[in-house]
Amino acid sequence: MATKKYWKGLEELNNSPEFVQKANNEFAEQLPVEKLLGDKNLENDGTNRRDFLKFLGFSVTAASLAACETPVNKAIPYVVKPDDITPGVANWYASTYFDGNDYASVIVKTREGRPIKIEGNELSKITRGGTNARVQASVLSLYDSSRLAGPTMGGNATTWTTADKEIGAKLAAISAKGGAIRILSSTIISPSTKAVIADFTAKYPTTKHVTYDAVSYSGIAKANAQTFGQEVIPSYNFDKAEVIVSIGADFLANWLSPIESAHQYAMTRKVGKDKKKMSRHYQFESILSLTGANADYRSPVKVSEHGKVVVNLYNAVAKIVGGSSLSSSALAADAMIAKAAKDLTESKGKSVVVCGSNDMHVQLVVNGINQMLDNYGKTIDIETPNYTRQGDDAAFAALVSEMASGKVDAIITYNTNPVYTAPAALKFAEAYNKVGLRISFADRADETASMATHICPDHNYLESWNDFNPKKAHYSLSQPTISPLFNTRQAQESLLKWSGNSLDYHTYLQRNWMDRVFPMQGKFMAFGEFWNNSLHDGAIEVGKGDAMENHTSADTAMVAMAVAAEKAKAPKKEEAPAEEKPVAKVDLNDAASKIAAVKSTSEFELALYEKVGIGNGNQANNPWLQELPDPITKLTWDNYVTMSPLDMEGKYDLMERQDRDASVVNVTVNGTTIKLPVVPQPGQARGTIGIAVGYGRDKAGALSMRTGSVIGQNAYQFVQLMNGTMMYGALDARVESANEMVAMAGTQVHHTLMGREIVKETVLSEYVKDPKAGNEDEMLVTHSGKVKMAEVDLWDSFDRPGHKWGMTIDLNSCIGCGSCVVSCTAENNVAVVGKDQVMKTREMHWLRIDRYYTTNWPNKGKEAKEKAHEDGVGAIDMYLDMENPEASNPKVVFQPMLCQHCNHAPCENVCPVLATNHSSDGLNQMTYNRCVGTRYCANNCPYKVRRFNWFNYNANSDFTFNPSQDDLGRMVLNPDVVVRSRGVMEKCSMCVQRIQGGKLDAKKAERKLKDGEIKTACQQSCPTNAIIFGDLNDEESAVTKLRKEDERNFYVLEEIGTKPAISYLTKVRNCEEAEFNHEQKAVEKEKEHA
Amino acid sequence: MDTLFKKSKKQIFAIFSFLFLSLILSTNTFAADGEKIFKQNCAVCHTLGKNKLTGPGLEGIMTRVPSEKWLFDWIKNNKAMIAAGDAYAVKVFNDNNKADMTVFASTLSDEEIQATIDYIKAPPAPTTPAGPVAQTSGEAAPQEEGINPLAVLLGVIAFLIIIIAVLRGVRHSLTNLQNEKMGLPEEEAVGPWTELKNWIYTHKRTTTVIILIITGGLLTSGWYALKGIGVYADPETKAVYHPDQPIQFSHKIHAGDNAINCQYCHSGVEKSKTAGIPSVNVCMNCHKGISSGATTGTKEIAKIYEAAGWDVEKGEYNKPQKPIKWIKVHNLQDFVFFSHQQHVTVGKQDCANCHGDVKEMTTVKQVSPLTMGWCIDCHRKTEVPGMKDNPYYESLHKRLAEKYKGEPITVDKMGGIDCVRCHY
Repeated sequence: MATKKYWKGLEELNNSPEFVQKANNEFAEQLPVEKLLGDKNLENDGTNRRDFLKFLGFSVTAASLAACETPVNKAIPYVVKPDDITPGVANWYASTYFDGNDYASVIVKTREGRPIKIEGNELSKITRGGTNARVQASVLSLYDSSRLAGPTMGGNATTWTTADKEIGAKLAAISAKGGAIRILSSTIISPSTKAVIADFTAKYPTTKHVTYDAVSYSGIAKANAQTFGQEVIPSYNFDKAEVIVSIGADFLANWLSPIESAHQYAMTRKVGKDKKKMSRHYQFESILSLTGANADYRSPVKVSEHGKVVVNLYNAVAKIVGGSSLSSSALAADAMIAKAAKDLTESKGKSVVVCGSNDMHVQLVVNGINQMLDNYGKTIDIETPNYTRQGDDAAFAALVSEMASGKVDAIITYNTNPVYTAPAALKFAEAYNKVGLRISFADRADETASMATHICPDHNYLESWNDFNPKKAHYSLSQPTISPLFNTRQAQESLLKWSGNSLDYHTYLQRNWMDRVFPMQGKFMAFGEFWNNSLHDGAIEVGKGDAMENHTSADTAMVAMAVAAEKAKAPKKEEAPAEEKPVAKVDLNDAASKIAAVKSTSEFELALYEKVGIGNGNQANNPWLQELPDPITKLTWDNYVTMSPLDMEGKYDLMERQDRDASVVNVTVNGTTIKLPVVPQPGQARGTIGIAVGYGRDKAGALSMRTGSVIGQNAYQFVQLMNGTMMYGALDARVESANEMVAMAGTQVHHTLMGREIVKETVLSEYVKDPKAGNEDEMLVTHSGKVKMAEVDLWDSFDRPGHKWGMTIDLNSCIGCGSCVVSCTAENNVAVVGKDQVMKTREMHWLRIDRYYTTNWPNKGKEAKEKAHEDGVGAIDMYLDMENPEASNPKVVFQPMLCQHCNHAPCENVCPVLATNHSSDGLNQMTYNRCVGTRYCANNCPYKVRRFNWFNYNANSDFTFNPSQDDLGRMVLNPDVVVRSRGVMEKCSMCVQRIQGGKLDAKKAERKLKDGEIKTACQQSCPTNAIIFGDLNDEESAVTKLRKEDERNFYVLEEIGTKPAISYLTKVRNCEEAEFNHEQKAVEKEKEHA
Repeated sequence: MDTLFKKSKKQIFAIFSFLFLSLILSTNTFAADGEKIFKQNCAVCHTLGKNKLTGPGLEGIMTRVPSEKWLFDWIKNNKAMIAAGDAYAVKVFNDNNKADMTVFASTLSDEEIQATIDYIKAPPAPTTPAGPVAQTSGEAAPQEEGINPLAVLLGVIAFLIIIIAVLRGVRHSLTNLQNEKMGLPEEEAVGPWTELKNWIYTHKRTTTVIILIITGGLLTSGWYALKGIGVYADPETKAVYHPDQPIQFSHKIHAGDNAINCQYCHSGVEKSKTAGIPSVNVCMNCHKGISSGATTGTKEIAKIYEAAGWDVEKGEYNKPQKPIKWIKVHNLQDFVFFSHQQHVTVGKQDCANCHGDVKEMTTVKQVSPLTMGWCIDCHRKTEVPGMKDNPYYESLHKRLAEKYKGEPITVDKMGGIDCVRCHY
C-alpha cells in the first residue's frame, strides 16, 4: 500500500540469510533443556529412557509428597496501628524528585508504609503529571542494598555521635587556623538547603560553596550573562513555538528540562478535528538522538560543525530580516539551514532555536538568532529562569587546582561524584587526596565517597524533607514516605549539627518557608494552612517569586547580600516590555571567529551523550534502567560506540542481527583509551562516533558484581575543559580495532512483525486536505464487492454489557521516551532478566516501544516503473530495488506495542487449557494459575506481545540482580499483582488492578464511573499524554470520542480480523510531500496490476 | 382544641401512667443490674481487685472510704467534693495523679449508683479458669475417636495372608502324608509365588478383572486426593481447618455474649481488601480494664498485656512490645485477589455467609472450603442486592434486564466469573 519501507534494524533492511533464518524459526535458539533439568553435564552423559523414567517417577512422588503438606500461614498485625494506615489501602504523598539532573513533581504511592510506585503530579505547572524513565525507576533505588547502613570513618563503620564529634573538632580546628573549607555539590535548587549552607558558612567563615554538574550547562548561563547581564538559564516555552530548531539539543530526553519540554512539544504536535496545525521541527545533530528521531527535518552534522550550523543559521536569518552577517563557511547542511531560516522568519516570535553546545560562543550566536526572531519574552522566558542547572565549570576547575596545590583543608561533597564524572585531564582524584578532611554525603561508597575520610550517608529522597525551587516562582516540597531504612541522616541535618544548630531539618524547613515563601503568596492567611496545602499539592506557584531565588554557584554570602538589591529591581523588570530591555552589544563576530577555529583534527570526532535510561549515571545500579532498551539502538545493559554504517563498512562487523557479536574498538582521546563494542547507527553523522556517559561505574553498587563485570566504560574521562566550560565531545578521536568480538543484547528485531503494514503516517499538507490521509481503509474483496475490513467478521461479536475498555495511542504525540516501559515494570512486578536472557529474546517487558526506521525509495512509483521497463527489470526485482533504501538518514517512527486485547484474539483459540480468554468488559485475560506453559498463544499472537517465564526469575540464583530476589528490593513489589513463577505466560493486563480499584471506588461511592478516573500505569507516566484509556461503552468518554471523530484512528493488522481494543492514530509529519515521497496511489495501482 | 383536649384526656393519662410504670420497671431492672452498670461505666478505669488502672483497684474499698454515703457522693459528683475541699476526696485525687474521674450525676440515677455500690461491696467470686468442660462445650472434637477402617482392613488382609500360609502348609503336609501312605513320591514343594503364577495363568479372565478394578480404584482415589490438595475443608466429612492460636481468643465471648460488632475489631472490612486482624491497641481499649476473663481467667489476657508491653501493676506501658503471631485461618492462594469491601460494602454480604456463625465459635475455624468452585457457585446464585439503587450499575442493570427478561440478575451475568475479576 505505502511506498515507504519500514525496517527495524540494518539486519532486516539487508535481509541477511541469518536474519531470515532466525525470523522464520519458531524458537530463537535451542531450547534450554539442560538448564531446566538443572545439571549442565547431563547433556554430555546422555539421558536414556530409563533415567528419564526414574527422574519422572521421583519427581512425581516428590511433588505429591511436598504438595500434601499445607503450609501454616501466620498473620502478624501491628501492635499499635498507625492511624493513617489501613492494611490493603494505598496512601499517596506528594513529593519531588530532583537528583541534580532531572526535576519532577511526583506523587508517591505507598502500601503499608512502603513506597511502591512513582506517579507524575498533575498539579505541577512544570512537569504536569509527566515523568521519565529515570524518575519512574527512582523508587527502586530507594531499596538498593548497596546503600550504606550508617556513617563510616576511614572505611570503617562508626556511630553518628563519634563521627559528629570528630568532624566538629576538625572543622573547628581548620576554621580556627583560617584553613579553607569547600562544599562541592551538584546543583542545589532547595532554598532551605542553601540557607543551611549559609548557616554553615556563617559558623565556618572560610567555607565556599562550589556547584559542579556532571553534565554542565554553564555555557548558556555565561552567554546570557553577556547578552542580558543575567547569568541564568531561561525557561523555554516550546508550546508557544511554531518552528523549533535544535542544534544538538536533545530536549525531549535530556536537555535542560526534558519532561517539561516533552509535554510542551507534544502540545504543538497534536492534531485533531479542530486543530490542523502543528509545529515544524528541525534538528541538526551528530548522533541520532530521541529528539532527532522526532524531528520533521533532520540533518546529521559533525560535532565540529555544530557551531558553524549556528553561525550559518544566523546568517541565513540575518539575510532575510536584514541584519549584518558573520564570517562563515559553506556546509553540506546549508540547504536545510536556509529552509529552517525561512520557516523561522515566517514565524517570528513564535519560534525557538536551541543548541546543546556548552560553548559560550555558540550560545551567544544562538541568543543572537533568537533576538533577531524576537523570541525573548515569548517562547523564551528569561524573566523566569530555570534554576536546575547552576554548575559553574570554571569555578570547579579553579577548585581542583586549589585542591591540587594543597590549599584546601576540608571538602564536603554533596550529591556529586567528581572522581567518576570529572574530565580525566583535571586529575580530580589526585587533587582530592591532597585534602586533609574529606567528607561525603553519598548514600553509597561510590567512586568519590570511597576515597573520603568520612562518609555521612544522606537519606534517599523518599525518606527526606526538602524544598525545591526549579524555576522562579515555582516551589515544591518533598516529604518522607517511609522511615529511613538505614542508619542514615539527611545531609542538611548533618550540616546543621556541625554548625551548632540542633534543629531538625523539618522544623528548619518550615521556619524557612514561613519567613521566605509564605510572604510571597496571598492565597492563605495562616501559615499552617499554607504549609499543609503546599504539602498536599506538592507543587505551588507563588506570585512573582523572589529575587533571592536567582543565584548561580557563587558564594552564598554574596548572594545573600545581593538579595536586597535585586528585590528592588525586580518589579521594574517585570513591567518593562521585552523589546525595551537594555541589551548590551555583544560582538558576535568575535564569537563567530572562535567558532570557525574549531576544526576536526582526526578521522573521527567524538560526541558524548546521555542515554534515556542511565542519564548521567547516578542510577547506574538500577536494574530497571539497565534493562530499559535505548529508544534508538534498542540495546540494553551496555554502552558502546555508535558509528555510521557507511564508516563501518569493511572495517567492523555490521551486526546483521543485533544479538550477534559486535566488533570491539579502542577509542583514544588525548591519550586516554577505552575499549567498547561498536554498533552501526543509521542517521549518525559520518566521521562522528557517539559514546554515552553514565556507564563504567565500578563502585556504583552490587549490580555490577551480580552481573559479572562493570557495565560499560566511563566516557566522562573524555570530557574536556575548553574556554572555561566543559565540552562533551572531542575533535580528535582515534578508533582502532581491538580484534575482539563481544555479544550485545538488543531487543529490536525480537518479535518481528514480518514486514506487515503496522505503522501509518502522512504529512500535514495531506492531512489537512484529507484527514484520512495515510489511513485509507483496508478493503476486502467479497462476493458482494469491496467491503471495508472493519465490516467483515467471521465470528459473532460478543456482548459487552458493562464496560468495554479501550485504549488509543497517538503516534504523533509519542516521542518514544520509555517512561511507560519503566512505569509498567514497576506497576506490574515485571521481572528483570539480564543481558544473557535479552540476547535470547526473553525480555519480559509487557510494553515495548517499537522503533522503525523509514526511508524513501530511490525511485518513485511511475517513474520507477518506466525505468524498470527500460532496464528490462522484472516486477519482483523492481520491488526489491525499491526496498533497498539508503540508510544514512532515516526517519524514525515509535510505536508502543502492548497486548492489543483483541476481541477475536488468536491466542485465545489455541490455548489448550483455557488459561487465556476474554472477559465481559473486553479484556484479554491471562490466568497464570491455569497456564501450563505450552506457549501456543505466544506463537499465535500476531503482535508478539506475550512473554514467557523461562525461569523462576524471583528465586533462581542466575538472576540475583532481579529486585525481587533481594530482601530490600522485594519491598518495591506491588502487592496487588501476582509475582509470576516459572513456566507461565504473561502479558499486559491493561492494569486490571487499577481498573478494578477504580470501579470499586465508584461502586462504594454509589456514583457512575468518571471518564479519566482510571488511568493505566503507562498512561499516567506519559509526559506527552499520548495514551488515552477509557470505556468504549461510554459515549462521552475521551477515547470513544477520539475514535469517532479522529480520522487518523487505525487498528494494527486490522486486515487479519483480530478486532483489537487498542487503536493508534496516524503519525503526521510536518514536512513537505516531496520529501516525504508520498506516492501511495500510484503504487497501489501498480500493486493491483502486479 | 377544647374537644381534642377533652377527648384525649383519658389517653394522655393512660400514656403518663404507662410511662411512669415503665420508668419504675426499668429502674428496677437497672437496680438489679449493678454488674452491668459497673462494666459499662467503671471497668475502663477500675478493677474489682487490687490492680490499678487509671483509677485505684476497688478491693476493700468499703474499709478505705469514710462512709458509704461518702462513696455515693463521690460517684455522683467527685469534682464538687474536691472543690468543696473534702479532705479524703482531695487525698484520693492527689494520690491518683490528679486524674479526672467522670461525674455521673447526670448519667446515673441514685438507684443506679446504689446498685453499683452494692455490686462493688459484694462482687462475685472471681471465676476459676475453665477446665476441659468449658473448652469442649462449644463443639465436638474434630477427630472422631474409634477404630480406623484402614487399620481394620490391613489387619484383616494380614490375618487372611497368615491363614492362607498356614492352610497351605497344612495342605502340603496332608498331601505328603497321603502320598507316603499310598507309596507315591513326595510332592514337590511349590513356592507361593509359583503357585500364584500358575493360578494367574489358569485364571486369566479373573485376573484381568481384578487388575482393572484395582487400577480403577487407585485412579479414582488419586483424582480425589489431588483435588483435595491445598483445600482445608472437606464438605463431606465436615473436617475443617481449626488451628491452635497463640491466644485462646473466643469470638463467642466477644462477638456473641458481649455483642461487639465485627467491624469494631476488623475495621478494614468496609474500606479495604482485607478485613484486618486488629492491632493489640484495639484489644487494649477494653482490656486495660478487663484483666480477667470468664473462662481462662487472667492467663490468656496476660498474653495481650505481654504483646502490648502493658504493666498491670503500674498501669502503664513500660515493657517491650511483642507482636502476636496469629495463625491465619482463612487462606487464599497468592494468585487470588479477594476484596472484602467489594463483598461487604458493595455486595452487602453478611460476614457469616463465608465465615459461618463466628458468634458461636470459641476459637475460629474455617467453615467454607474457599475453593474456586465454591466462589463460583455463590456468584452463580447470588443477586447483587445493592445493584438497583447504585447509580454505578444503572446502565449495566438496564442492559442486563433487557437481555435476561425477568430472570434474576446474578453476579455471573454481570461478569462476576471472569477470570480477571480475581486473578491478576
